[in-house]
Amino acid sequence: MNIKSIFDYRLLGLTGSILLIISQFFSWFSGYSLMERYIIATSVDISNAFLYLFPLISGSICLIATLLIYFKLEYRINSVIINFVGFGFFLIFIFELIPQEIDYITSAGIGFYMSIAGAILIFFHNLNILLTREKSKEGS
Amino acid sequence: MESNFYYALGHDLRRRIIKIIGDNEFSSFTALKKELKVSTGTIYHHLDALSQLIEQGKDKKYYLTELGQHAYDSLQDNIENIISDFSKKEFNSPILKSLMFLTPKKIINYEKGYKIYTVIFSIGLLILGLIFCNLNALFPILLFFTNLFQSLQTANLSLQIFFNVFFIINFLLYYFINEIICRLVYKKNENSIKFLLSFSLIFYPTIIYLAIHYLFKELDLLDYSVISILDNILMIIFQVWALWLLTYNLIVNKHLKVENALIISLLIHYGGFSIILALSI
Repeated sequence: MNIKSIFDYRLLGLTGSILLIISQFFSWFSGYSLMERYIIATSVDISNAFLYLFPLISGSICLIATLLIYFKLEYRINSVIINFVGFGFFLIFIFELIPQEIDYITSAGIGFYMSIAGAILIFFHNLNILLTREKSKEGS
Repeated sequence: MESNFYYALGHDLRRRIIKIIGDNEFSSFTALKKELKVSTGTIYHHLDALSQLIEQGKDKKYYLTELGQHAYDSLQDNIENIISDFSKKEFNSPILKSLMFLTPKKIINYEKGYKIYTVIFSIGLLILGLIFCNLNALFPILLFFTNLFQSLQTANLSLQIFFNVFFIINFLLYYFINEIICRLVYKKNENSIKFLLSFSLIFYPTIIYLAIHYLFKELDLLDYSVISILDNILMIIFQVWALWLLTYNLIVNKHLKVENALIISLLIHYGGFSIILALSI
């Protein structure tokens, strides 16, 4: 098994999850970070406030999934399934947020772009796990 | 002996040879070549590797040995025999064990006598899905549901009927996308009917979700933040369960490796999300 390939896909997943987590603390729309919006939303209407934490939850779950294969390399399918769950939170968040904020999307802050980049990295991380395994088995 | 057994089953083509001979009780070389669509040399190479599992009779036809029959029975039985030794370790993990526990294996990978039960179960699920989609006024796109077209449903009768039966159209669409990818990318043409008959099983978790969602909606519980969050989390969990059922179905009926089956599930699932996001914008 190629050490370099292992390093690569771990790095993709780690970077993606960390980007998703830290995007929570950078500005998204109207100059507010999601954490600030969560705090504002809880003081006004708690019902949808929790939604603003979804990128943080998503990033944390994906980070756990990436760390799982960091410690137990053979648990790659488990890692992909956990990533499915983590990614699900992000998809729901995007699905709820984007239609609401579509008019401001051109002036979106760095947090928005960080989260999108993180999500794309996690997606490729999953593909890479599955494809790398395939290559390594064929090569053996 | 045991290592030879696993080595012999460790290749897709060898498993297919065992299956062809097992299904027909015997097979000639010509029949194998016609079915497998590979070169003569390749078939001879794999027949050599299967020397302990198959034997050639006086009529020059290939038969299963006792060990071969055992291998054939194992291949019929469950997923664990069509995945590598490496994956077997992973299948003992709590997550995959739980998912396998929740998988209706005998209905998806049904034997000849049980086909009728799978058909009844599948039709029942499609009807339930149709009912719950309409009760929730949700429009299915692959494994996602949206209420974006609620206003269009009152437009005219033909459009209304189209939206009402869209759960079945969505089921057929999802099936054909999977079938086409299997055929074009992985060259897996087998078990198309079996795959179709058991395909609605993958919607079984999402139907449970729709039933719970309907309950929440009817009791006006979705206005409560905790329930609303729980509803979202349930949707994610039931979708992942459905994706696993799709993966399992692809493994047992299309004989794909677990990694390839997951790639198909992943790509179609996120493709579906992209469509729904584009429509919502």
